[in-house]
Amino acid sequence: MSSFLGPLDADGRVPPHQQTRVAAFLISAHGALARQFALALPLRIEAAWQTELNAQFYRESEIVSLLQRATTWVPDIALGYMAASWETTWLPPAIELTGDRSLAPAVHLATLAHAVHAAIRPAALLPTEASPADPFVLALRRIEFESGRLLQAQILFLKRPELVPFRDAVSATLEQRHNEMRRLWREMLASIGIDIRE
Amino acid sequence: MECVPSDEGSRNQNLLANAMPFLSHGSYRIRYELDGPADAPAYVLVNGLTQYAELWAAYRDALLARHFRVATFDLLGQGVSDKPALFINQDDHVAVLHQLISALGDGPVFLSGISFGGLIALRYAIEHGKRLSGLVPMSCFAELSPQLLLIGNALRTGLILGGTSYLQDLLLPMNLSDQWLEPLLDKLDSVKRQGWLVNDVYALQNLMESFLDFHPITSQLSSIAVPTMILNGEFDFLTPRSLHETLRVEIPDSALVIIPEGYHAFTLEKGALTADLLARFAEDVLAGRWKGNKAVLIAPDEPGGELSPFPAGYDHLRAIPVQRPSP
Repeated sequence: MSSFLGPLDADGRVPPHQQTRVAAFLISAHGALARQFALALPLRIEAAWQTELNAQFYRESEIVSLLQRATTWVPDIALGYMAASWETTWLPPAIELTGDRSLAPAVHLATLAHAVHAAIRPAALLPTEASPADPFVLALRRIEFESGRLLQAQILFLKRPELVPFRDAVSATLEQRHNEMRRLWREMLASIGIDIRE
Repeated sequence: MECVPSDEGSRNQNLLANAMPFLSHGSYRIRYELDGPADAPAYVLVNGLTQYAELWAAYRDALLARHFRVATFDLLGQGVSDKPALFINQDDHVAVLHQLISALGDGPVFLSGISFGGLIALRYAIEHGKRLSGLVPMSCFAELSPQLLLIGNALRTGLILGGTSYLQDLLLPMNLSDQWLEPLLDKLDSVKRQGWLVNDVYALQNLMESFLDFHPITSQLSSIAVPTMILNGEFDFLTPRSLHETLRVEIPDSALVIIPEGYHAFTLEKGALTADLLARFAEDVLAGRWKGNKAVLIAPDEPGGELSPFPAGYDHLRAIPVQRPSP
């Protein structure tokens, strides 16, 4: 097994069955974030931090849109049950933040977004000979780059002073999210012949 | 955070015998490598911020050939070691280092670190100096000068806005010479690739943010009683001479050695020379020949050459030959 996508075709493009499964995973994860940001976004922005929420919603939607259009899709019957497993994982876990239940939904969304943006590095799957002119290759690079920027909102939120009393619970929830995310990502990649053992 | 062996019931020495060894720090795994005979004096090398353990490979070979044992590792948040998702405390690095050194047995241990790793080595020497036979901080600092603070903030912003690749783009010309960079200009992407692959944005950011509550350790340097050789590149822009001077003035048995035409990352650029200096320092200490005397020395251009004293009467903190004021 390789650590990278491929073998590439003569034009440096990723095999369509690998594109399909990687794109499906990323659409599932970023699509879940887009839906949850949309639900959290008020019709009228009243607070400054909601401008960031608006930006996150549209960036996630952009990632989904980009993947839908840049991927060379092929039929993949295994995607049905794989996607069901992924979607289940994005659901909110039970988070115990002693004394303030109102923070739990926001912490859930922030930890999920942190895990998606930090633990998943799609561009790191690309071998050096991947064609920079291929839309799927460019999409993976763009998604990883944008994820690093989007991540800043989650870092700022999770490190904010109001959450200091709950630091251990927040850290534990986030580490759990990262572990789940890495496991699903690793399993999906293994199913297309890629080994990213850490 | 408490350090415990990763395999319950086994001793640290047993951990070091594993083929793919990891230490455990709380719930996190620390990847390390240990080479050389168990009864040899050991060198422990601590990475800088964007490094990974393999970058010490040439040092490992050179020091093994000089009959040392060599330990390298990826810091918490680096390379193959686990990367805490949200918080890394500098105390964690000192604790990990303490665990690794404790696992080396009772023989002489020399500790060296570069830049961020040099700071961790200094903190270890302050807290556990009795365990060390010698200390070599390189491209290092004990306090954040206004310039270093602002450069660090700018580098962090660069990482946030442009990712690891942009941080590398900033650091390469800042820390390496034209002579090193010129032949690599058309293949810098391949030079950067391994560092980009093994280092994650959030983990690097966590490492950088461990400085947000940094307290100067200058006032504690005088407690370092161990022989100390401070290495500073002649042209180190990031951590200039004045920051190393603080170490020289405060650490009693120290000497400052200036690496000619060296930049902040002279350990990459002048590996053979630096490894030779490390070996000679340890050999001198073990033979009882080392006398720091807070001297200021100039390293030779090539391995094996003689160190020479900085010209008497001239100010080693200046870049032009300015005579010191008469006492």
